[in-house]
Amino acid sequence: MWDSFSISVAIRQLRYGITQTFLTMGVVAISVTLIIFLGSLIGGLQKMILETVTESIPNIVITQPKRTPLTPRDIASLRKKGTLYIGSGTTLEERTRKIEDWMFWLPRLERFDPDITAVSPVVEGQAILSAGATQRGVQVTGVIPERHNRVVNIESKLISGRFFGLRPGEIVIGYQIANDFGLKVGDRARLSTSTGNTVTYRVAGIFNTGLPTVDNAMVFVTLTDAQSLFELGNAVTSIDIKLAHIFDANTIADRLKLQVPYKIDSWMRENQELLTALSAQSQSSNLILVFTTLAAGFGIASILITVVTSKLREIGILRAIGATRKQIIGIFTLQSTLLAAIGGIIGAGLGIGLSLAAYRVRTAQAVPGQGGQVFPIDLRWQLVTGAIAIAIAVGFAASLYPAWRAAKVNPIEVIRGQ
Amino acid sequence: MQERCVVELKNVNKTYYNGVATPVLFDINLCVAPGEFVSVVGASGSGKTTLLNIIGLLDAPTSGQVILHGRDVSQFSEDERAQMRREYLGFIFQFYYLLPEFTVLENALMPCRISNCKDMNAKRARAIELLQQVGLGNRIDYHPGQLSGGQQQRVAIVRALTNDPALVLADEPTGTLDSKSGLAVFELMKELNRTTGKSFLMVTHDEGFAREADRTLPIVDGRIGG
Repeated sequence: MWDSFSISVAIRQLRYGITQTFLTMGVVAISVTLIIFLGSLIGGLQKMILETVTESIPNIVITQPKRTPLTPRDIASLRKKGTLYIGSGTTLEERTRKIEDWMFWLPRLERFDPDITAVSPVVEGQAILSAGATQRGVQVTGVIPERHNRVVNIESKLISGRFFGLRPGEIVIGYQIANDFGLKVGDRARLSTSTGNTVTYRVAGIFNTGLPTVDNAMVFVTLTDAQSLFELGNAVTSIDIKLAHIFDANTIADRLKLQVPYKIDSWMRENQELLTALSAQSQSSNLILVFTTLAAGFGIASILITVVTSKLREIGILRAIGATRKQIIGIFTLQSTLLAAIGGIIGAGLGIGLSLAAYRVRTAQAVPGQGGQVFPIDLRWQLVTGAIAIAIAVGFAASLYPAWRAAKVNPIEVIRGQ
Repeated sequence: MQERCVVELKNVNKTYYNGVATPVLFDINLCVAPGEFVSVVGASGSGKTTLLNIIGLLDAPTSGQVILHGRDVSQFSEDERAQMRREYLGFIFQFYYLLPEFTVLENALMPCRISNCKDMNAKRARAIELLQQVGLGNRIDYHPGQLSGGQQQRVAIVRALTNDPALVLADEPTGTLDSKSGLAVFELMKELNRTTGKSFLMVTHDEGFAREADRTLPIVDGRIGG
């Protein structure tokens, strides 16, 4: 589509009209910079939100469903219809929601799908934490630390003490609890349950996940400590599962439901609102990118129209001495595409530079254990190459109208019409 | 093969339609012989520029035939006409409009560049020869902006000749030049007409230049008169 004539005229005009060349490249470069920086910033923000949330929760949770006894009235109505009702939701008496045969399921769950990377038995219960005169209701989580850490990473969130190698009689607490209670590693605190059990523990570690609901209300003890605290014998209250691909949670949960006689919850269904919000954010950021691209396109087109208008007579002469419409169109589409390509590459460089600079910006550490990163940047090469490709496509598209205007120039009119 | 006419017009009529029909040319019959220097004179609005545009394949006749190099081109498409212009015609305009981004030599070779001509080296040698002939041998690497109007028009004349056309069309080539430069340009065209053997057809207002031609065609109200 571009012959040697179009190429030589296009390039010569770009070199000669250096002001317009820089203007057009500037428009493209700034747009591409903006697209890359905004794209990696919004992408990074989403990734950070998603990571913060998903790091602190299991992807799939297996629990005993709540079973309530049928009332005499329920039974009467069922008998009237002549049916015998046996369902997983019914029982003769209210039971503690516990899983007795977790040791049977553990190896089977681990082998169930290669996507399952970790399985952790958990005992959860409510208790009152007290130390000195302070007390607060907390959620006690009994785990095997090394196992549970592969589901929810606590070890890396420690700001003091330890989580791995937690021994009976030891407790790991959130930093907000530690602050409020004035507790340090080695101090003692008591847990009391509603059934009247009270046990004293020694603080072995303090963590900071960044999530107030966790740091403010969660404590970890060993699995056996929790079992005895809540009088569960050898049972657990849930089995937590971590997946390699967190967005496969619904699929895997649905498959598990067919084989495991317990309630299976996927984090995606539990956090539907968050996912909806993230997707709305993605869409609005895409909208910004679309408008940035459009603005750049119109910018290029208007500069090119000016260029074409200023060159009408030269175009007329070229047409008169035998240049075809295709050759004239070639001159302007090539100019625009070249400018967009060069501007796009410069913009990509600036965008990458800006993103990397923003990535390095840190605040003074307000909270120990946190990085203090101001801009969560997630720079992907697809974003960079995509932005350049879009710039080139827009550059070409934006040149079509000006090029068409140049091609339909009537040589006689422009040559004589001074 | 030597044609009898480089270009021949047979019963050419031209009417413009701008809401109302405005007839401009009536039954024009014309033959420009090889090597002939023809001048076209006429008052403003007499139709001489329209005639030039039709001969130059920049405009199509409403009726009648235009035969260029033995081919009836009156029904050719725009791209076909562009190709015919490239191969057989050279243009000199009142305004020379050289491309400011290109040097004198490059401007002179522009028709060759457009048609992506194969014998670029031969054409280049010819262009340099012509530029020397018009007195610009020492300016071939200058840009148009560094030349005077008369010098630029001489580059435009060379540009019209580098593709070795059968006919050179000139539309008031001296119109914007002072009388001294105008005369020099005209003399140059006459000389090139003699030395190259190309036919020239020149529209002019200048009675003096018109009389110097082999033949003068007066256009009066759309007809060849006189």
